Amino acid sequence: MMTVYLKGGGLLREYLQPDVDEYTRRVEVAEGRTLRQILEAIGIRPVHVAMAFVGNRLVNLAYVPSDGETITLRPPVQGG
Amino acid sequence: MLKGFGGRQLRINLSTGEIRTSPLDPTFARKWLGGRGFVAKILYDEVPRNADPFGPENRLVVTPGVFSGNFGPSGSKCSFGAVSPLSNGEGDSTVGGHFGPELKFAGYDLIVFQGISPKPVYLFIDDDRVELRDASAYWGQGTMETEAALKRDLGEDFEIAAVGPAAENRVVFACIGHDYGRQAGRCGVGAVMGGKRLKAIAVRGTRSTPLHDLPTLKELTLRIIKRTAQHPNMAPWQKYGTAMFVGWSNEHGVYPTHNFQTTYFDRYAGIDGGPLVERILVTNKACFGCWMNCGKYSKVQIEGKDTVYVEGPEYETGSLCGGNCGFDQIEQVAYVNWLCDTVGIDTMTGGNIIAFAMECYEKGLITRKQLEGHELRWGNLEDVEHFIRMVVERRGIGEYFARGYQAAAAYIGGGAERYTCQVKGQGMSGYDGRGAPAMLLAYMTADIGAHHNRAWTITMDEDLGKDVIRGKAKVVVHLQHIRPLFDTISSCRLFWGEIDVTDQEHIDAIKLMTGWDDFTLEEAMRLSERIWNLNRAHFLERNGGPGRKFDYPNARFYEEAVPSGPAKGARLTLADLDVMLDEYYAARGWGLDGNPSREVLEDLGLEDVATNLERAGLLGQLSAPLPPVRGEKYKPKAF
Repeated sequence: MMTVYLKGGGLLREYLQPDVDEYTRRVEVAEGRTLRQILEAIGIRPVHVAMAFVGNRLVNLAYVPSDGETITLRPPVQGG
Repeated sequence: MLKGFGGRQLRINLSTGEIRTSPLDPTFARKWLGGRGFVAKILYDEVPRNADPFGPENRLVVTPGVFSGNFGPSGSKCSFGAVSPLSNGEGDSTVGGHFGPELKFAGYDLIVFQGISPKPVYLFIDDDRVELRDASAYWGQGTMETEAALKRDLGEDFEIAAVGPAAENRVVFACIGHDYGRQAGRCGVGAVMGGKRLKAIAVRGTRSTPLHDLPTLKELTLRIIKRTAQHPNMAPWQKYGTAMFVGWSNEHGVYPTHNFQTTYFDRYAGIDGGPLVERILVTNKACFGCWMNCGKYSKVQIEGKDTVYVEGPEYETGSLCGGNCGFDQIEQVAYVNWLCDTVGIDTMTGGNIIAFAMECYEKGLITRKQLEGHELRWGNLEDVEHFIRMVVERRGIGEYFARGYQAAAAYIGGGAERYTCQVKGQGMSGYDGRGAPAMLLAYMTADIGAHHNRAWTITMDEDLGKDVIRGKAKVVVHLQHIRPLFDTISSCRLFWGEIDVTDQEHIDAIKLMTGWDDFTLEEAMRLSERIWNLNRAHFLERNGGPGRKFDYPNARFYEEAVPSGPAKGARLTLADLDVMLDEYYAARGWGLDGNPSREVLEDLGLEDVATNLERAGLLGQLSAPLPPVRGEKYKPKAF
């Protein structure tokens, strides 16, 4: 198992249920899991994630996080 | 003394040249707050029901609200309003940038224009000095060209709102430009301004707005800035702005493609946020007092064309002037964006109108001869440029498109109205409602026609199910109250929607600006509902009833299934739309005919409006008891 930190705001925050700080949730996952699988495992439908970033790098839902990595999740636009 | 406001209003009769300054009534300010609230009330009270939107009796209302120019969480917006030549009902549109704050700094919360000037003029405001000046030298120039010329002639510290040739020629979807690429784009407010031969407004203000409690307001705002700087949405928002949603919208099957024929554009990768940032972005650009600075200032170089600079493209332009017109390169979309901005047409209804014409050409309903020997092919820049100029100059078939959907469809014939993707004459925003029924309901019922800024529901549609019809109307009603509230107080909705500045924090800021200690979120939401019902009544009094008959989109959205992409097969029927409308009217306390009831109007303090509707035979009858609260906040399903 390894630890991944998922960070999200806006409506996504309500789905994410942060437990580390206001925006961040710590998740224990098996190594080799994709971001999509991790999201589904914690009850977040991928449709609620418009984009994902590792640092400033844009990644997609097939991305496989490393131990200790923080993934910033961006919900779809609500303001328009 | 009224605090938080400039404290004065200007009344300008363009027919006679008379200019009157008077104090802003504090009771009026509290009851309607500014922005869209002032617009709705003034238009309802002052414009005769049979007045032509282009006639002298229509008003052009310009109003920065209470937030504008104040040290709150965003305060950049300014509303422009008029009876719309698109819907023939109340129309309002906001613009960011710096114009609203500057008007406040000159001490004005409201300008109401009436009449039509005998010659082109612009309004010059330098604090107390207010003059109508000859604009002959600027007439015919583009919006950005006019802005640059006025700044050159008056000084860089003047803020300018100007119209282009489209407005001068009364193209019904003409907009008002400001800050080299921002627009009060929707409802044809620019067309009304141009129709009044008002080329521009130039303002410089040097006053301070009196505030009730500046130290505490400062503390609140700085706390919000500090908190939101760490918000996870901030970095991607700053980097890509709204353009990043082209990809998302495609992947979820709601992206308008080839005039909403389908909802997935397989070549979207070239017009997403990535190419914008990598290929054309010069710098980010912020509105007054904003720390998000999500605006994108771009340089567009296309072989055979002049190099041009444009703000954007934003998502709406990237969809409606992008895949919806078949463009697959960001430079092309940005060039169309620039062209629309320059001539002064709304890229949203404009993009829709271009795509509508393209589909008519594709289906043989428009001929090459009617296009002066040109074609109108998907993704062809030369064709589009020529077509836009035909419309703006009202040449040939362009004359009918300049008058709007109804005139164009009637002229073209052959069932062309099926391809007019609009409600109440306003082109749809960049989301297809067949894969998001509540979004379609939001378009159908929006007071100004099919505009997403009244309610955006796609996350809820995804959450509850794209094929679920029932149970969403109450949320649409709630969103139609909370979202336009930001246009009423003149703050940027994105702070609330994207970086979690709460609705209560906005209310707290208003209290600190004005000293209205008993002002509450409930009062603000009731005001927003009051405005909504007033606009509905105004629309019905001008257009007749029942209201329901105006609340349907073109047949494509209830007769055609989505043919490709992730939403392939998604289809709504007319019966589905009726189910949603029944729920919606009940949630609003309206009759099933779509007309407001006396009960809801009286509950909102609009007894006089109920009487007016009753006299006109337009009062709705409740089919169930009036809900004590109209609308319901969405609670995510996942947990």
